[in-house]
Amino acid sequence: VSGGERPLPYTDPRHAQAHQFLVEEAALLDAADYDGWLGLLAEDVRYLMPVRVTTARGAGFDSLADMAHFDENLYSLRKRVQRLATEHAWTEDPPSRTRHFVSNVRTFQVGAGGAGGAHPASESEADLVVESALLLFRSRGDTREADLVSAGRTDLLRATSAGLRLARREITVDESVLRTQNLAVFL
Amino acid sequence: MSELDTLLADVRRGFIPAHIYNDQEIFALERDRLFSRAWVFLAHESEIPAPGDYVVRRVLADSFIVARDEQGTVRVMFNMCLHKGMQVCRAELGNASHFRCPYHAWTYRNDGRLVGLPFHEEAYGGEDGFARLGQSLLPAPALDSYRGLIFISLRPDPPALRDWLGDFAFYLDLYVHQSQAGIELRGPQRWRVKANWKIGAENFAGDSYHTPHTHASVVEIGLFREPKASKRKEGALYLAGLGSGTTYKLPPGGTFDSQLAYVGYPGEMIDVMAATWTDGQRRLVEQDGFMVSAATLFPNLSLVHNWPVIDETGRVVPFISLRQWQPVSERETEVLSWFAVDAGAPEEFKRQSYQAYLMCFGSSGMFEQDDVENWVSITDMAGGSMARRLRLNSRMGLTSDDKPIKPPLAGFSGPGTAYQGFGEFNQRHWLSRWADYLEGVA
Repeated sequence: VSGGERPLPYTDPRHAQAHQFLVEEAALLDAADYDGWLGLLAEDVRYLMPVRVTTARGAGFDSLADMAHFDENLYSLRKRVQRLATEHAWTEDPPSRTRHFVSNVRTFQVGAGGAGGAHPASESEADLVVESALLLFRSRGDTREADLVSAGRTDLLRATSAGLRLARREITVDESVLRTQNLAVFL
Repeated sequence: MSELDTLLADVRRGFIPAHIYNDQEIFALERDRLFSRAWVFLAHESEIPAPGDYVVRRVLADSFIVARDEQGTVRVMFNMCLHKGMQVCRAELGNASHFRCPYHAWTYRNDGRLVGLPFHEEAYGGEDGFARLGQSLLPAPALDSYRGLIFISLRPDPPALRDWLGDFAFYLDLYVHQSQAGIELRGPQRWRVKANWKIGAENFAGDSYHTPHTHASVVEIGLFREPKASKRKEGALYLAGLGSGTTYKLPPGGTFDSQLAYVGYPGEMIDVMAATWTDGQRRLVEQDGFMVSAATLFPNLSLVHNWPVIDETGRVVPFISLRQWQPVSERETEVLSWFAVDAGAPEEFKRQSYQAYLMCFGSSGMFEQDDVENWVSITDMAGGSMARRLRLNSRMGLTSDDKPIKPPLAGFSGPGTAYQGFGEFNQRHWLSRWADYLEGVA
């Protein structure tokens, strides 16, 4: 979404709905309720986190087009969740303490004149494109320094009869070299 | 005997003083005696395909520009301006005909030659005061490549890279030479872990023993069929030249084609591999029934080849990753993890193989997640004074009088020495080379 597009006013109920979706999602992730989290995803979800790179201003790109940290569909996300539910996912046992801070939420209407109008995965004008800023705090063990992961996110929230579902997420991480030991967490 | 001599003698016998995994003095020796002398991997030519393409990579604290110049020649240049020492290129990749220092605008062509400095006449009196001609960014002391893999050495007179690789090239080719087209690399993903760099290198060199337990979860969820203990101990460990690695035992009675199909290669790639590989390489798969998995080339380049289930239909697709354990300090490592694929492979295969990679290895990979947790914990434990009293037992596969508990595999089709089953032959092989370098005799 370009900076020139106008988000829905904060008083618009669709913005409130989208904002609440992101906050509820963060609550599920921080509670490690990953099955609950999977329930928020559309069947055709694509969950993408490109590798960010340091390039000269004017290079025309600052992330790799063909390499990501995550490029997931529902199968691979389910596998990740299934794995965390086994008794042998050592990297999260003991579990990390995480806090997903979600802010800077801007909601855009899909459809005529809306920023999401060209979104290839939108199915109706009731779908919403939502931008947010995410700061993940992750603490492991008792003596290690905690990790921070800062990222922007652009989501397509699809309006279904059961409520909003996450159909697309693109995570724009703010570091080219991650300072967390792995991505056994969701952003 | 000095303290270091005693330490290295212990290491060579497979009794590893635990503090070497988090010790500032050891790290200084590694910098001065190992990384200043060994061939170290920097990049692959597929990362800089066109004139002007460059990537910036490090060997410990030294930053190098790896560029393809206008004539198509690969150049590796120390990334420090000749004038005041500014970092000339502060991007990590891109395309440029010239690099201009931001401080005083000294300008270098992408082959390193100094072509511009402002007010040459007024400030220096021209060539007489400062001879610009013949000046260039410091080139890497030695540069060589193998199958597109670019290595440098900080030692100006190293052995030829091919000689240095020795018999490990036979195994390396199984990853990087599946066709005459060679491999192409994507990435790398980069992330920093609070772990000593040696732990990952040793693990990939030969630790088949950790797989059934550390990676139990990926078998439980049906992502990977192989690491069960019963299967893993059928695999062979090989050590050859400056490298070593692990293999999996393939189903009995297979042909070359069926074994490669079992790990998910499409028929057209199998035909090309059959035509590209040597008799010995084909026999390793067909007659011996072994498929390469993890490997390490001393000191810090590792490879992995696995074949997970990538979708609900149970489709198995293999992937290859190259990774480098870039030391930051005695207790921190930057991991650079590339996805690698045969450049001649069908696009559909490349796409699926990339998915397979992302699920298993790299910053989010489900195998790698658990590895790193272990390595961070080891490093944390190794930093105190008690670790100086502990010698870790790395003697698996040896009796108390230093004999292998079972003989090397007879008739193994690859060069070097191979053992079937669990053992720490490869880790001791790697650690012995490490000891040679730290002693200063290598």
